[in-house]
Amino acid sequence: MENDRPDGRTANQVRPLACSSSILHRAHGSASWTQGETKVLAAVYGPKAGTKKNENPEKASIEIIWKPKTGQIGWTNTLLISTITFHLKKQNYYFFSHCLGKVEREQVMFSDMSLLPCAINASSAALVDAGIPLKHLAVAICCSVTDSGCIMLDPTKGEEEKMKAFAYLVFPNAIVSVLPERPLQVGSEPMTNGIMTSVTQGAMSVDEYFHCLERGRAASAKLSEILRKNLGSKSTSEASKAG
Amino acid sequence: MEAITLIDQSVCPGDVVLDVSTIANHTIKLGGGLRQDGDVISVTKSGTLRFSNPNKYWVQISQKRYVPQQKDSVLGIVVDSRSDNFLVDIKGPALAFLPVLAFEGGTRRNIPKFEIGTLLYVRVVKANPGMNPELSCTDASGKAAEFGALKDGYMFECTTGLSRMLLSSPTCPVLDALGKKLSFEIAVGLNGRVWVNAASPHTTIIVANAVMNSETLSGAQQRIMVEKLLQKIQ
Repeated sequence: MENDRPDGRTANQVRPLACSSSILHRAHGSASWTQGETKVLAAVYGPKAGTKKNENPEKASIEIIWKPKTGQIGWTNTLLISTITFHLKKQNYYFFSHCLGKVEREQVMFSDMSLLPCAINASSAALVDAGIPLKHLAVAICCSVTDSGCIMLDPTKGEEEKMKAFAYLVFPNAIVSVLPERPLQVGSEPMTNGIMTSVTQGAMSVDEYFHCLERGRAASAKLSEILRKNLGSKSTSEASKAG
Repeated sequence: MEAITLIDQSVCPGDVVLDVSTIANHTIKLGGGLRQDGDVISVTKSGTLRFSNPNKYWVQISQKRYVPQQKDSVLGIVVDSRSDNFLVDIKGPALAFLPVLAFEGGTRRNIPKFEIGTLLYVRVVKANPGMNPELSCTDASGKAAEFGALKDGYMFECTTGLSRMLLSSPTCPVLDALGKKLSFEIAVGLNGRVWVNAASPHTTIIVANAVMNSETLSGAQQRIMVEKLLQKIQ
């Protein structure tokens, strides 16, 4: 029993994705990520030298500046900022001490729900564009649960209002490995089964949450593909012109 | 079963490129963009994986910012001067120090007076993580060897990948083709800065534009581009 979504997608389809990098001239790295009508532009500056007080010089430090499309930064946006900061710190925690202090600015271009996943995808691409050493990349997706218990991926704003709960899930990027027989292990589970960050809102049952995870993980393969294609084609893209 | 190899392919942070435990020759040299994670070598920056015999692996990356490396020749801009150092911006995370005595025949009596904004061609002497890099205007044996302030001319910025291509040997095709018809001076810094000087501004601009446009072109394409450019103006 598939519900018909207003734009004709099935429950498991994400909106059209687009990603472009090196679009800003002054930023050291930049990328924009579009999911349907939602578009986020991320710019990365860094690494910068110098530790501020209260910061561990062994760890990387990152500062996020978030600009919503309209209005001031209210509590919803503050939640987004802290989630992104937390997630990015986890992503590159292995750093050498000289890779300190990155400033990342995210500007919302169009907002049609699924903002946090869009922002995380944009920031992954922008960090790579800037040449910040990363342990691995992340792709993010939004899964929502309807009243009847169906799981829908990547809801739009219209669909969002009818959902009883949704979860933003961030998975590690699919990696290409020369060891096909032995997937990377973290503990006793293959790394591809891992999850990096999860933010949920609303109420859903434990089973529904696990369903969300499965669907999200399956869809993240497509996101990984787009991200990887965008990074790989950088060498053939237009050269950066001097200012 | 042939193991897939990622050499000469685009790689992305997180990709695993090598399993150390299965290699017969136990010494491998890792260049930029790679790190060891227990038994595997994985990628930290996106680029093209390269390998050179017998045992060197590295990721060829091209960025806007520069990571200071020892022995690199770079173009720096003087930002400030202290009693014992000039502070020089080399497009890295930290300002670099150029000791006032690091010149050929430099003594306390003949310290050069560099104004803020002076462009210098310098050599990186020390580049340790967490410390400001140290520069010098002499080569390893203490001679001046072309290092020092660059007067006149035009400086533009590019990516580190383009700088490396311009400095590769044999001579980069775009510079070769331009050099056959035009006469100009060029200094390339590995930190993504290029300085061009010629007798007329006209020639300077042609050279600068040709170099900027040549990043994504192959050797043959570069020569064709330069020919077309020169035909248009002559």
